[in-house]
Amino acid sequence: MGYVAVKGGSDAIENSLELVEFYRIRNSITPIEIEQIKSQLRLAVDKVMGEGGLFTPEYAAIALKQAEGEVFEAAFILRAFRTTLQRRYYSESINTREMFVKRKISASFREIPGGQILGPTRDYSQRIMDTKKASESTADIQNFLQQFESKIDNNTLKSIKTYAKVIDLLREQGLLKPIDKKENKQLLDITREAIKFPAARSARLQMLARAETGGLMAMGYASMRGFGSVHPTVGELRYGSVPVTVKDPSGKLRYIGKIEVTEAEMINGTSSNKKSEAALYTIGYGLCFGQNDTKAICMGILDTTMRNPDSNQPANDQEFVLYHTEGIESMGFTNHLKLPHYVTFQSSLKNVREEVERKKEVATV
Amino acid sequence: MNQDYILCECSLSALENFVTELEKYFNVVVAKTPSICMTMVKAEDSVESQTFYLGEALTTECQLLVNDKIGYGICIGDEPVRAYCIAFFDAITDIENEFLPQINQFLKEQLAAIELSQKIEHNHILRTKVDFKIMEQD
Repeated sequence: MGYVAVKGGSDAIENSLELVEFYRIRNSITPIEIEQIKSQLRLAVDKVMGEGGLFTPEYAAIALKQAEGEVFEAAFILRAFRTTLQRRYYSESINTREMFVKRKISASFREIPGGQILGPTRDYSQRIMDTKKASESTADIQNFLQQFESKIDNNTLKSIKTYAKVIDLLREQGLLKPIDKKENKQLLDITREAIKFPAARSARLQMLARAETGGLMAMGYASMRGFGSVHPTVGELRYGSVPVTVKDPSGKLRYIGKIEVTEAEMINGTSSNKKSEAALYTIGYGLCFGQNDTKAICMGILDTTMRNPDSNQPANDQEFVLYHTEGIESMGFTNHLKLPHYVTFQSSLKNVREEVERKKEVATV
Repeated sequence: MNQDYILCECSLSALENFVTELEKYFNVVVAKTPSICMTMVKAEDSVESQTFYLGEALTTECQLLVNDKIGYGICIGDEPVRAYCIAFFDAITDIENEFLPQINQFLKEQLAAIELSQKIEHNHILRTKVDFKIMEQD
């Protein structure tokens, strides 16, 4: 039996929304400014943009504020917001080799082009609670910035560089497995055309790029733990900003700004059944908005798992991975369980009661 | 010198002040008021060059007629003033006018400021460069 909708309740719903607003601001404290959210909750903003599928730090911050910090809800709001906007331009392909690099590491090679740059990361911290944050003042912030800025000499600045990629080293040495010619290379857009399985790689990458970080991590972790077959090494992980260009209505190529992205190239070993063929490496690719190492890494893992279909391994099953890591749909469906299911449940209840009566009758005969 | 790059990255207040001063000398008609829209960002897997759509970027676009010359302004973000100024620049740099030396000077100054700020950030980032030693190494 399908879901039977309910009607009425609009006063209570409106009052409930008013109550939400009351709980959000009940203590009359100073409202958080959008700039504060953009800057001090930077990683949450990045997650909302990635999962909302729209790069816009400002609106992601507004959504976070509106959703009281609930990232799922904020991403949902952003996705809904994007449906109100016209898509007027398609960019040229962004080139991560032109990235203004803020972080660039490899777990596979110690020496990489330009060296390992940790950038902004908590990877090597002990996650000790910094209770001083509770009383952080504007003066503290100013002091920190002043000290931070004094650590470099503006008269001896090194020039900005772009860097060659780690995977180029493997490619140059002929250690990468040749591209699978059977792979469907068609460029699809899953926001315009519902995904069909088996999906083209472009559709899989697009869905992974706007998937929910936790969902991707669960699948990627499952694969590494043995419920799958992929346990890669980080070939290169980069975070930084890349230029975006579009053609204007006259056809002229125009720079329109930069977006921040995290990119992961995950190296996987392979096996070969043929004596004459060496077991070469394959690369799983991950790219997402903002700084989100976990998401890019897990996207890279799942890019590889899905190229090796196996319905016995959840992480290798395209439909399983892509439908269940789609945060907005997963959240929407899960939350629909809270909506009145009176008719559906009453129908089930009637069946169970009748079954109980029938069994009683059988027992007494 | 990429004009769009400079205008997208420069200080908004400097840009707005410069355009406000300059537009008095031109006949400016707004053909399309600044409005937000989206740009679908295309990406390419760096290994196999597989093109795919990464997601959209909020964008502002504007069209002006400056002395009958059309100018297009497009930039990422909800930036109506910047999009207007970019459209203005797009048009006036295509028209013979006496202000071109001033315009070039403005662009040069802004580029220098952008480059300095990026260089400073880059040098802060370089402070996190690491050379891990393997345990057996000295």
